[in-house]
Amino acid sequence: MAVLLVYFLSRKYRVLAVDADPDSNLADALGIEGYKTLGEIRELFQHSRDDFGTMSKESWLEGKIYGEVIFEADDFDVLVMGRPEGEGCYCFTNNMLRAILRKLMRHYDVVVVDCEAGLEHISRKTIDSADVILVVTDASRKGFKTASRIRELAKELGLKAKMYLIANKVREGEENVITRYAKSEGFRLLDILPYDEEVAKADLEGLPIPLDCRVAKKVENLAGVLICEANP
Amino acid sequence: MERKKIDVKAIKKDVKEKVSVGEEDFPFDISPMYEGERIRKGEMYVELGGPKQPGFELVVALPIDQVEDMKVTLLGSDLDELEEGQAHPYAMIYYVAGSQIDMDLEPVIERRNHDFQNFIEGYMHLNQRYDIWVRIGKNAIDKGLRSLTQIAKATMMLFKNEMPFIEKIEALYITDGEIVEKLLKEYAMPIYEERDARIEALHDEDVDEFYSCTLCQSFAPTNVCIISPDRPSLCGAITWFDGRAAARVDPEGPNRAVPKGELIDPIGGEYTGVNEFAKEESGGEYTRIKLHSFFEYPHTSCGCFEVIGFYMPEVDGIGWVHRGYAEPAPNGLTFSTMAGQTGGGKQVVGFLGVGIGYFRSKKFIQADGGWYRVVWMPKELKQRVEKFIPDDMRDKIATEDEAKTIEELKEFLKRVNHPVVTGVVRHVDGKKITEGWVEERRVEEKVVEKAEVEEAPQVPTPSVSISPMPGIRLVIKNANIYIDKIVLRRKKEGEKS
Repeated sequence: MAVLLVYFLSRKYRVLAVDADPDSNLADALGIEGYKTLGEIRELFQHSRDDFGTMSKESWLEGKIYGEVIFEADDFDVLVMGRPEGEGCYCFTNNMLRAILRKLMRHYDVVVVDCEAGLEHISRKTIDSADVILVVTDASRKGFKTASRIRELAKELGLKAKMYLIANKVREGEENVITRYAKSEGFRLLDILPYDEEVAKADLEGLPIPLDCRVAKKVENLAGVLICEANP
Repeated sequence: MERKKIDVKAIKKDVKEKVSVGEEDFPFDISPMYEGERIRKGEMYVELGGPKQPGFELVVALPIDQVEDMKVTLLGSDLDELEEGQAHPYAMIYYVAGSQIDMDLEPVIERRNHDFQNFIEGYMHLNQRYDIWVRIGKNAIDKGLRSLTQIAKATMMLFKNEMPFIEKIEALYITDGEIVEKLLKEYAMPIYEERDARIEALHDEDVDEFYSCTLCQSFAPTNVCIISPDRPSLCGAITWFDGRAAARVDPEGPNRAVPKGELIDPIGGEYTGVNEFAKEESGGEYTRIKLHSFFEYPHTSCGCFEVIGFYMPEVDGIGWVHRGYAEPAPNGLTFSTMAGQTGGGKQVVGFLGVGIGYFRSKKFIQADGGWYRVVWMPKELKQRVEKFIPDDMRDKIATEDEAKTIEELKEFLKRVNHPVVTGVVRHVDGKKITEGWVEERRVEEKVVEKAEVEEAPQVPTPSVSISPMPGIRLVIKNANIYIDKIVLRRKKEGEKS
């Protein structure tokens, strides 16, 4: 779904797609290759930082990110986070990375961050400056439970983002379960995306999602709604 | 490497030359908000330097009469003649002059070229030195950017505004590939290499201020790292140069300037300014730091150090173990156990957390004998710092191959006649600082009789920290301790503490 969002948003806006899942699904789905991940650069920096002499470390990091990490697709840019930290102290490195990324993100209209399914990014406040957080669940008990936990955690941490629920891969007849759940939790349900054969097939065959299928059309609409919600 | 102006006429025949002097109005916007601006391939007019073409930037200090203020000379094609969508060679040389400017300031000024050029709307500058990668956006051309001389003028204006000690500045920009490559090889590279060699030669006494780092205070609220030319940060990330650059950009940020003040102890590395700063920043937790001492007022650690040093009284020597070495050291403790004792911003005597960069320092724990007091380190670590170990010590420091226990270590040290066996002589001043190993023999108990109150040795305790058991810490401040009786007795073999 993140893929479709990126496609549609990039038609009108300058988009940066960030794959924050160490499993790097977004990058694969977008069909990009030949890039370095932020994690790789960070590791390279950690190992070679004794040899910098008088050269500016921040400039080196920035150069690597702009030059080798950010992948320029036709209509949007992609940044893949990659592996989490290894051993050692990352205070200084992460501090610099944060500053560099903050400067970078200012120059995009929309930044779409695809996080892994879980609480990590919420608890680490990696995405605390987001305008909108989309919690995506399917019609399963596990999905609902995770969604609820995410919402609770966000509230606890005082995150300012608007949080919405999106149900994905929903089969006929399951819609009621979703709406009931959303209502009982007080979740704002933005949309229910149906299970789409075309999408499943394309995914298995490694082909791009056809942009005129049912789900795609819904996401296109969703994109418009999100922009409005993020900019009241 | 002599600093001279490049003779533009002599460098190559028949090269296009354009000269412009003086102020002018710029068609593009200049503001810090353009920092981080990314020019995508589709938006770019031309690329200069970068991975496909040679390029470099260089600042050279010259005598004031040799520099023509706000003049720019461009050798080679200008923007209107460069093929659109392609990458081209690019060199930016700035001549600077001012009463306060010398060669040491060149890299400091040069680093700012990157910052200032990124203020220009539609101009993206990445990296430094010979890695520079520049893109000019079509949006800048649309707005009226016609010539690289305009870029040069804007940059020079920013230099003068932001760095008032630059009294005169002149630019030489080159897009002719042959000239760029020639100058890079013959003029720029030797200067870069000379600068790198300079750092090795820069010491604590050569500078007026050190830099602090409090980035780790979220983990260790009382920890302050003091970073000097002879002592880089213990997390390994920051050298004195990095500290200087960071402090300049954000003087109130996590890296700040620490004026040295008066020198108190040249061998241990203690300064009034540093002590004062430490007192303030640690909330009074500690008031004195000796930068190059292991035992006296040692530098604190946050827990992020790359290597930890530990004292082994059985051999009167210091061992080192790095993060990532999982086995216990000869003292029976692993890195993580010892790290737990040392972190959190305390001054713990007997352990010291450092960065690997400290091993290359000429002042490496010099108060306590430096390398001549080091007895053990893991093979992996030793290999990494091998070139910094003095020749006469290289074979006398044991690794896990030679010794895994204290007994094995003792054997080894005796065999190679390590300085700790006979008594360590401190190379920096020739003073003998340890007695060497004394043969074990039974000693009578010596009892010091009760002393008169007026003569009683008063141990001044501005602050003493005791850990009677894990989780509890007693801090005694401003107390006078009166000693009734001292019993000195050598511990018999096999006796428990």
